[in-house]
Amino acid sequence: MKVAPDLQEFLAAYLLEAEEHVAVANAQLLTLEASRHRGENNPKAVREIFRALHTIKGLSAMVGVEAIVTIAHRLELLLRECERAAAGVSLQGLDALLHGVGEIRARLTALSRGEQPAQPDAPLLARLESTEVTDQAPPAPAPPTIDLEPELLEKLAPFEVEQLLKAAASAQRAIVCEFFPTPDRSARGLSISSVRERVAKVAEIVKVLPRAVPVTPESPGGLAFVLIVLTSATDAELAEAVGVDPATLRVLQAQLPVIVETAAAESKRSALTEFEDEAFGEGLRKGIVRVDVARLDDAMEGLSALIVTRFRLARVIADLKQQGVNTRELSYILADNARQLRDLRAAIVRVRMVPVSELLERVPLLVRGLCRTTNRLVRLEVEGGGAELDKAVSERLFPVIVHLVRNAVDHGIETPDERVRRGKPEEGFLRIVAGTRSNTRLELTLTDDGRGIDAAAVARKARREPPANDAELLEMLCLPGFSTREVATTTSGRGVGMEIVKRVVVGELGGELELRTEFGKGTSFILRVPLTISIVDAFIFESAGQRFVVPVAIVEEIVELERARAVEVPGQAADAELHLIVRRGQAMPVLELAQVLRLNLEKSHAANAIVVRRAGTPIAFGVDRMLGQQEVVIRPMNDVLTRLPGISGATDLGDGRPTLVLDLVALGSATPSRTERVGG
Amino acid sequence: MSAILVVDDSKVMREMVIACLRALPGSHFTQASSGLEAIERLSLAPFDAIVLDLNMPDVNGEEVLQFVRGQDRLRSLPILIVTTRDDDGARERVLKAGASAFLAKPFTPEGIIAAVRAILPGGAESSA
Repeated sequence: MKVAPDLQEFLAAYLLEAEEHVAVANAQLLTLEASRHRGENNPKAVREIFRALHTIKGLSAMVGVEAIVTIAHRLELLLRECERAAAGVSLQGLDALLHGVGEIRARLTALSRGEQPAQPDAPLLARLESTEVTDQAPPAPAPPTIDLEPELLEKLAPFEVEQLLKAAASAQRAIVCEFFPTPDRSARGLSISSVRERVAKVAEIVKVLPRAVPVTPESPGGLAFVLIVLTSATDAELAEAVGVDPATLRVLQAQLPVIVETAAAESKRSALTEFEDEAFGEGLRKGIVRVDVARLDDAMEGLSALIVTRFRLARVIADLKQQGVNTRELSYILADNARQLRDLRAAIVRVRMVPVSELLERVPLLVRGLCRTTNRLVRLEVEGGGAELDKAVSERLFPVIVHLVRNAVDHGIETPDERVRRGKPEEGFLRIVAGTRSNTRLELTLTDDGRGIDAAAVARKARREPPANDAELLEMLCLPGFSTREVATTTSGRGVGMEIVKRVVVGELGGELELRTEFGKGTSFILRVPLTISIVDAFIFESAGQRFVVPVAIVEEIVELERARAVEVPGQAADAELHLIVRRGQAMPVLELAQVLRLNLEKSHAANAIVVRRAGTPIAFGVDRMLGQQEVVIRPMNDVLTRLPGISGATDLGDGRPTLVLDLVALGSATPSRTERVGG
Repeated sequence: MSAILVVDDSKVMREMVIACLRALPGSHFTQASSGLEAIERLSLAPFDAIVLDLNMPDVNGEEVLQFVRGQDRLRSLPILIVTTRDDDGARERVLKAGASAFLAKPFTPEGIIAAVRAILPGGAESSA
């Protein structure tokens, strides 16, 4: 018998899925708030939130994360209260719910960092317990009327009936259609899940119900699915989506026999054990695999090894050709191989892409929180479009967006009173638009209609001449430590300013940052960043007072020169500049990096050596000091520089200055003649 | 051989259930990510048991249970309901509605193996 599995192995998958449910809960809470704003109740959203939290609770219990189980459970109790009271959720109720979901997210983040999530403290639990979660007056339920079979009608929740009635008043039609599953259809991929997915493209699904039917050749399973939908599509379009004859569709009449659901019937339906359709639910997630980014990095590393092998192969073929061997066939294969490797690389890069909408999905929540703390009214519009970008870029960009949104709400958009005084609408406007440019860059624009930036005031504070244009103004704003507020406010400022934004966008990602502002009218920030970047784990070291970076993957070992056994080169004085050291019985030359790169030798004293292997032969490069190891983003250098052998790009280590990324293997092959000269 | 249908909208949860139940010799698993999908699969192929979650979108676990028990062909199909603890009165409700057994999350691998073995026809004796 197999050994029982350790459920802790599911922790990584748990974190990913729980994060999705948290996103659903947050989005639905905001929907609920929007409904409340319009004076409407939204039981559908309440159920969605409940369901998300219930799943989080169950999953957390399975992997033993009790802290989250406790919080999710308290939130569920609040939601049950909302549901039972049949009244709208209160503002403090919404706050408590959002706060609780935030607490869950914080614990998921802690877990993903390998930390133990904190147990919820007493004030948090007290807040979740004592909140008056509903408003007082419950909205009067509208008596629903609809010509649906009683056994189907009784399965619809009151708000679903209402949905049908509302649509009847608009241009949409309420239609009932049936789908009969058969083994044959199933074999052709026609299942209720795929039918739902297709129908969701042409109609809004109100409800899907199973109905037992007599076993016939048409319905061998004795089962039919009844789909109740709202649509403005034609019968033919809908029938095609379901895969049935248009004649079998039935249009629901809205005001025929009157069936009034009593209060008792309603409370029976309101138990939170039932949840309605989500047209774009599980169906759309089908065929999607979630992968840990580390696994993709492994794939990319494997690919790099393949490319190195290809270079070796190319060299051998070139040698053969020189010896007069006919290598035509081999050259064709090599060319094919190169194309295949390029395709493979593109395929792996595509896997790393995430929709930009994912990056922007937390913005509404952020804006909401900022509005509450700064007493602003803000209408937010987010257009993510279909653009996709590298997960690594997305992760780096997120704090930048948070910063710019904070600035816009806190410094840009005026208080409602001030706006009215200036003849602007009470509600400020913040718009974020993302789109791709030339398939390689993402352009992200954040625009507010606030007070704009006072260039003269900025210049005074920076003690400089007033800027001539927006570009110069941006330069000033990005000066280290610059902040437009004298006093750091709760929401922004605190010493970290636009400097960070510029460092990430320009320094780390190699992108562009642009500012357009009109004093009194508003401000736009435009960010253009590459859609993909390459990230490697790298050693940082110093040579002749300069810092360099080398990818960890090419380093075989790091040697302390004092301890390594130095061997005298025959025919050379002991203090000559070419040394040999012996590692594991193999002698290898030590090249002074400062000398190879023609740096200031007086400043250099090689204490360590970095060993790399070129065509099987080890070479050691003497460097002054090892400074550490970190992940760096490598930006390719401009064309002139990349032709320099041994320099594969530049990176920003966080100080805003470019640091060269060295390819020591290539440097090793570029230098023998020079070392001979040095040695001679 | 026992064919077991695992119904849960959470992929992680389905994978955990199956990982635990692999210890049952000769069983093979089919997954359904919604109540509708579960009902469809049940109508198209025979199963020896279902492990059914309650909290699901569209048709939830209780509705699946109700539907299954309403069909002659499926009236005696063993059904294990798995749901999160603190589900108010769920145990009583589902047992009354015809569930064969009830297991609260979090469960242990041993717990769910024992629960499924107990409801499989002849399973308790043959593979103990």
